[in-house]
Formats: sequence, structure tokens, C-alpha cells
Amino acid sequence: MSWDAGLPLLVLASSLLPGLVIFFLPEERVATRTTLNLAGATLKLLLVGVMIWGVFHGHHYETRLPLLPGLDLVLRADPLSMLFVVLSSVLWLVTTVYAIGYLEDSPNRSRFFGFFSLCVTATVGVALAGNLISFLLFYELLTLATYPLIVHRGTDAARKAGRTYLTYTVAGGVLLLVGTVWLYVLTGTLEFTARGFLSALDESHHWALVVIFVLLIAGLGVKTALVPLHGWLPQAMVAAAPVSALLHAVAVVKAGAFGIVRVVYDVYGIQFAASLGVTLPLAIVAAVTIIYGSMRALFQDDLKRRLAFSTVSQIAYIVLGIAIVGPIAAIGALVHLMHQGVMKITLFFCAGNLAETLGIHKVSEMNGVGRRMPWTMAAFTIGAFGMIGVPPLAGFISKWYLGLGALDAGQDWVIFILAGSSLLNAAYFLPVLYAAWFRAPADTWPAERIFGRRETAWALLAPPLVTALLTLVLGLLASAPFSPLLWARFITALEYAP
Amino acid sequence: MNTTLIAFLLILTPLLPLLLAFPALRSRIFWPCHVALLPALILVTVPAGVSVELPWLLFGSGLGIDGAARLFLAMSVLLWAAAATLLHTVKGKTVDDRLTTFFLLTLGGNLGAILATDLVFFFAFLALMGYAFYGLLVAGGGEGTRRAARVYLVLLILSDLALFEALLIAAAMTEDMGFEAVRQAMAESPLSGLYLLMVLAGFAARAAIWPLHFWLPRVFRSTRPALALLLAGVPVAVALLGIVRWLPLGEITTPVLGLSLQALGIAAILYAFFAGLKRIQLKVLPAYAVILATGLFAIAVGMGLADPAAWKRYGNLVYFFIAYLGFGMAVLIAIIGWLQAKVHYPVTSEKQADDSCLWFERWFEALLRWATQLGVDTLPRLRAACLTKAALLRHTCGWQKILDASERALQRWCFAITLFLLLAMVFIFLAAR
Repeated sequence: MSWDAGLPLLVLASSLLPGLVIFFLPEERVATRTTLNLAGATLKLLLVGVMIWGVFHGHHYETRLPLLPGLDLVLRADPLSMLFVVLSSVLWLVTTVYAIGYLEDSPNRSRFFGFFSLCVTATVGVALAGNLISFLLFYELLTLATYPLIVHRGTDAARKAGRTYLTYTVAGGVLLLVGTVWLYVLTGTLEFTARGFLSALDESHHWALVVIFVLLIAGLGVKTALVPLHGWLPQAMVAAAPVSALLHAVAVVKAGAFGIVRVVYDVYGIQFAASLGVTLPLAIVAAVTIIYGSMRALFQDDLKRRLAFSTVSQIAYIVLGIAIVGPIAAIGALVHLMHQGVMKITLFFCAGNLAETLGIHKVSEMNGVGRRMPWTMAAFTIGAFGMIGVPPLAGFISKWYLGLGALDAGQDWVIFILAGSSLLNAAYFLPVLYAAWFRAPADTWPAERIFGRRETAWALLAPPLVTALLTLVLGLLASAPFSPLLWARFITALEYAP
Repeated sequence: MNTTLIAFLLILTPLLPLLLAFPALRSRIFWPCHVALLPALILVTVPAGVSVELPWLLFGSGLGIDGAARLFLAMSVLLWAAAATLLHTVKGKTVDDRLTTFFLLTLGGNLGAILATDLVFFFAFLALMGYAFYGLLVAGGGEGTRRAARVYLVLLILSDLALFEALLIAAAMTEDMGFEAVRQAMAESPLSGLYLLMVLAGFAARAAIWPLHFWLPRVFRSTRPALALLLAGVPVAVALLGIVRWLPLGEITTPVLGLSLQALGIAAILYAFFAGLKRIQLKVLPAYAVILATGLFAIAVGMGLADPAAWKRYGNLVYFFIAYLGFGMAVLIAIIGWLQAKVHYPVTSEKQADDSCLWFERWFEALLRWATQLGVDTLPRLRAACLTKAALLRHTCGWQKILDASERALQRWCFAITLFLLLAMVFIFLAAR
């Protein structure tokens, strides 16, 4: 196997192998487990760095393994997949550091980190999948790998959340499977192709293609948490903070959104999808999700539940940007795939810090917490302002391109959705910031832990600071070489090339 | 001074206050708020017409100094130095560390907005300045200040939205977001009317132009002297600068909008005059002076929109007007502060200083009282329903519970619904064939 054919497999193995070893490590082998975790995450990052450089210079990395007669397991590095791979690799490293600090004294850490690595392997598999069947395999593996993480704490609430998650995602998986099989019967291929592979089909099949589109989007919409398929996400917030970070920013919801991008671009082709008339309903569903998620977030006192509804709203931006049908909005959608991940992971890390250090779980308990944990709350502030879309943070860049794309595509109504969503974002984030920075602190915190002179443990504090800095850098240096914005432009230029 | 050094100074001017906003970085520096002003002070002395391109920033930005920027920089350095001195010399009080942080963040935003050479960078600094100024008002302020700042914050968010829409319209017309390029593009654009409205609405709220002035007297009444000194120079002056920088004044003729603005300006002057006379609280008088001045500014801009040729001849005078507004207000506030301290000038009655509720809440209550007195209790049932709904909304309300319940029902029936949908789709497909 040549280097170019083996590299995608190596990227996958860099998290799979450490994960498998960790499963069998005794609980007390903390150093070995930590070394394996960090080595795997760092190696993956290096390999991805090599791959992204190669893809930019026209290298073709593809692993093809026979799976079924006529169907291969394909791992391929293309510009779109690299965007998602980079996001998951970078955030995996950061989340690993955070998880090590977060689960310092918890039981069953080998089991946790084993599934954690498996989860990231599945995510990278979803990103690198070169056809719909490979995508489906990794997508379902992701469901199975994430479930043990959600129920890890073993509480009733965790088990209930796990059940709901499994019910939703398995049902979604069934829809996706039916859609995929139907598509294969109709076309004889499932290979992702730039600008799609369905436009050549006879017009008599168009009805079927519309139904298949609905099946695929409904299947993927579960993980994307599109309304009304979002019910599992706010429940899953009972999971530990690193898992929430993984669910909301790196793996699960992103896999769903990425899947929708793949289906619209590389299965149907954006122009063909628009000609079938399926993009406008998709845009409407996304718009409803954006407003609904924000409205629900507005009334949540539980901090993580508020953030969960915020995710419901924010992920729909990606779908909206794709469904608007235009190159500029597509840039906004793709860049938001990356930016939302970085901003949302910051917020979840901070929520985890508040819970672990002071026992704070509710917004109403956050009065004056900015004085007790200034660095954590500074990171939270940057993440929240990013979500609102305040310049020069990452969220501003996404909203800029989405708004501009809507104008460019003649979909002016989207501007009102974006404006309404920004207002609602401000309405549910600013009171949190106000309480944290300007209200007088309570005499005692719900469950305070002292970490010497520091506000919390280094392993808990460093990750949100790094991701908050990234939120600033991704926005401020949006036009720097290899920035997500330039990469998104690169992808869109390929998709919309004449 | 060579160009490289000036370019370095241009970057350092907004950057140094932002760096010093980190408590750890300023902990060993004596008078950090004054130190943060040094690059700006040096920059005032360099020749105008130098700029630095920053292609990696945002969508490609830049910083530069022209005649107007130098004038504003000079005003800002003086105002900020005076405010910093006042802030650090309050007897018997230690300066809140958060206050210094917000002070430096606002300063960074203010200096950056003055030096920005394109709309997006200007907007970014404006946003930083606006939110940090809110923090500056609220940190260590009393309940009255907080309520006043809340009104300011709401207007700030709405203003940001309007300006964002204006930016999108401009970006749809031209890729170059430099001030000059946007002015040229918008002068010929079919969307220029909408752009002008958005820019004016966005900046009017920040500049306290009547009728969006109501946050200013409230803030003046409750804030401390060091911050009152900044009120005319920071949010107001930069917003006025924004209007001049963003609008295609001298390039476009819109008589209707021009006349409307002039009418608005005259109304503002009359309002400021009579309302100012009515107020006996000396501390708030500068607020009405600012409203009067912004009214004059609105008349000038209105004239510019109605008659571009006149703007081309006299437009530059507006920069001086704004700069002297900052200086003049600072002097006025200083005199009033001195008067209040020395002459024991009568303060306003409790009723006038009441900050317990916001203006629209008072208006609403007054309306209800008036209607009750007239014997036409305004649709009592409707009012009762509104109040009940508002209370419900406040306490995580009924419809939230309905949504929660429907989400739970969906969770319970997830598999059944999926199966049903699947069968329905297959059935529809077969029927269609």
C-alpha cells in the first residue's frame, strides 16, 4: 500500500489503536492511559497536517477496501473532508486534555477513554468517507460509540438520556439506511462525486429522488437536531462536560450537518437539488429550527440545557447556508461548521468548569462568578459574544457570509431570520454574562472545590482558554492563509465551478 | 519619522490598551491607563496621510491616519487622560480592577475606530467600544446606573443589527470595504436609500440623536464624573464620526431624507432647549447640550444629503464640530462638577431622580392611569390578559411547558412515528407511480 493510499487509514488508526489498547488498561495505569491518549491525538494532528498540505497541492489520498460485491469501503481526503477532519482532530486533542482533568478521580476511566477514542475514530471516518455506504457505517459506529459515553455516569437521568439518544439515532439510522439502499437500487453507485451523480438520471425517477432526499435528510436531521428531531440533544446534556463538548462541537451534531452537506453537494449536487425543489423546504426547516432553538434557550435556567438549545439553533445555520443555494452562503455554512465547533466547545468547557469547581449548574446560581473564576468567565464571554456574532469573533464571519449569501441569492427573508436569531442570542447570553460579571456574588457556592491560588485545575482551565483564543483568532485572522474561511472558499469554488 | 515606525504606532495605538486590559500585564505598570495613551499621543504629532494594510485581518483591513483622525485622536487623548486621572484620584476609594479593564477595552475600541480605514474594522472596534463602555458604566455603578446602562445596551444591540445590515448591503455592492470605495459604490447603488436609513438608525442610537436620546440623560444623572467626561467624547463623537465616514455625503442627493433629517434636527434642538430648561438637576444639563449639538449635526448632515455641492464645500467643518463637541462637553462637565462641589447647587427632587423604572414602563403606567381616570379603563379584559401573559412569559411560562410536553411525547413515540413516516412515504411513492 502506497503512502497516498495508506495515509487516510493511518489517520483513522491513530485514534482507533490507542482506543483499543486503552480498553484493556487497568484503571490505575493513569500515566500509560494519558500518554496513549495524548500521543494518539498529537499523531493524528500531525498526520492531518501532512494530509491538508498534500490536498492543497493536489495530492490524491484514497484508501479503498472491498466491503461487499460492487461496494468498497472508501476513505478519501478531499477539501470538504479535510475541513471536518481538521476540526475533529484539533478539538479532540483539546477535549482529551480537558477530559483527563475532568475525570481525574472518576471510576471506569479506561472504558470512558476507550469509547472516547472510538467516537473520534468514527467521526474522522464520517469525514473521510468516500461513498455513502462508508459514511453510513461510520455514522452508525458513531451512534454506538457515543451511547456509552452519555450513560457513563450511570445515573437514572444519564440512562434515560442514553435511551432517548439511542431511540432517536437508531430511528434516524433506519431512515438513512432505507434511503441509501433505495438510492443504490436506483443508480448502482453510492460514490461521492463533486456536483453529484444523480442529475443524469431519467426524469421519471425524480419523484423517487425527492422521497429519498427526505429520507436521507430526516435520517441525518436527527443527529443535526433539526426541529422536530432535536429532542435527544437537550436531554443528553446530563452527560459529563467533555462528552457534551464532543456531542455539541466535535462529533455527533457535526456528523449530521456534515452528512447533509455531503448529500446535497456530492450525492445530489446543489444545482440538481435546487431543480428538484428540495432546497427551499430544507431552508425553511433550518429557519424554523434557528428561531425555535433560540426561543427555547431563552427560558432555560439550566446552563447546559440553555447551551444545548443554542446548539439546536446554531447548527441549523449550516443547513440554512447550504439550502440557500449560492456560493457565498455556502462559504458561510462551511466556515460555520468549524467556527460553531470552536465557540460551542468553549462554552461547554466553561460550563463544566463551573460545575466541577463551584457546583454551579444553573444560570440563577452564576451571580458574581466572574470574580471567583475570571479566566473561565472571560473564555465564556468570548464564546458567547462569538455566538451572538459580534465582530471580530468567529461567529461574525459565519453570519457575514450567510447574510451576504442570502442577499446574493435573492433570499432576503433569511436576513430577518439572522437578525432575529442574533437578537435572541443576545437575549439568552447577555443576562448570563451580566449575572456573572456585575451581580454581587453569593456568600457560598453550591459545592466549591479549592485548587490553591488558581481558580481551577490547569487541565480544566487551559482548554477553554485555548478555544476562546481560537474563537478570536479565527475571526480576526479570517483571511490568513489556511484559515477555515479561505479553505471554505476553496471548497465552494470547486462545487460552484462552471 | 519613517513610515515603518508610523505603521508600528498605528497598530500599537489600539493594541496597547487592549493588551493592558489584562490585569496580569498591567500589574507592574504605574498608571496603566495613561501609559496606554502614549502611542496615540505620539501619533498625533506625525504627518497625516499614512496607512498600513492588514490583509490577513477580517476581510482585509487597515489602519491609517488622516486629518480628521488626527483631530479625533487629539481630542480622545485629552479626554481619556483627564478621565483616567479623575478615575485614579478619587479620594478614599480604590479603583475597581474590573473598571480599569473596561476602561482600557473601551479606550482600545475608541482609538481603533478612529484609525480604521474600512467599514468592517470600524464596526469591529465600535462593537468592542460599545460593549466595553456598557461594562464601564455598570462596573461599580448603583442601581440607577445599571438601569440606565440596560437601556443603552438594548439600543446598542439594535444599533449593531442595523449597522450589520448596512454593512451587508455595502458588501453586496462592492468588494472593497474601504470608506472611499463604499461611498462611491453606495452613491450609485439602487439600495442606497436602505443603506442610508440603516446607517443613520444605527448611529443615531449610539449618538443619542433625538428621538433615540433617552439613554443619555439617564446615564449622565447616575454616572460618576470620570465617566460623564467620556460620554460626549466616546459613544457620541465616534458615532457622529461613523455617520460622516460611512455615508456617501457629497456624492448623493436625497432631498426627502435630507429634509427629514433637518426637521429631526430642529425638533432635537427644541426638545433639548425646553427639556433642558425644565430640568433643575445641574448634572444632567450637559446631556441636553449634547442632544442640542447632535440636533445641529443632524441638520448639517440633512443639508449635505439635500445639497451635495454644499457638503463638498463645507463638509470638513463637521469634523471640527464633532471634535470640539467632545472638548466643549468635557469643559462644561468639569465646570459643572466644580460648581456642584463649591456652590452646593440644588439637586433634583426624589421624584425627578427616580430610576426605579424605565421610561416606557412609566409611559405605560401613565396611560393606564389616565384611561382609568377618564372612566374608559382601556379594554380591561385585554389589559388583564396582556399582564397575565407577560407574567407567564416571565416565569418560564405555559407555552414552554407545552413545548416541553410535546418534545417528551415525540420522544416516547419516536419509533412509531418513524415507522409511520416510512410507510407513508413508500405508499405515496407507490401511489405516484
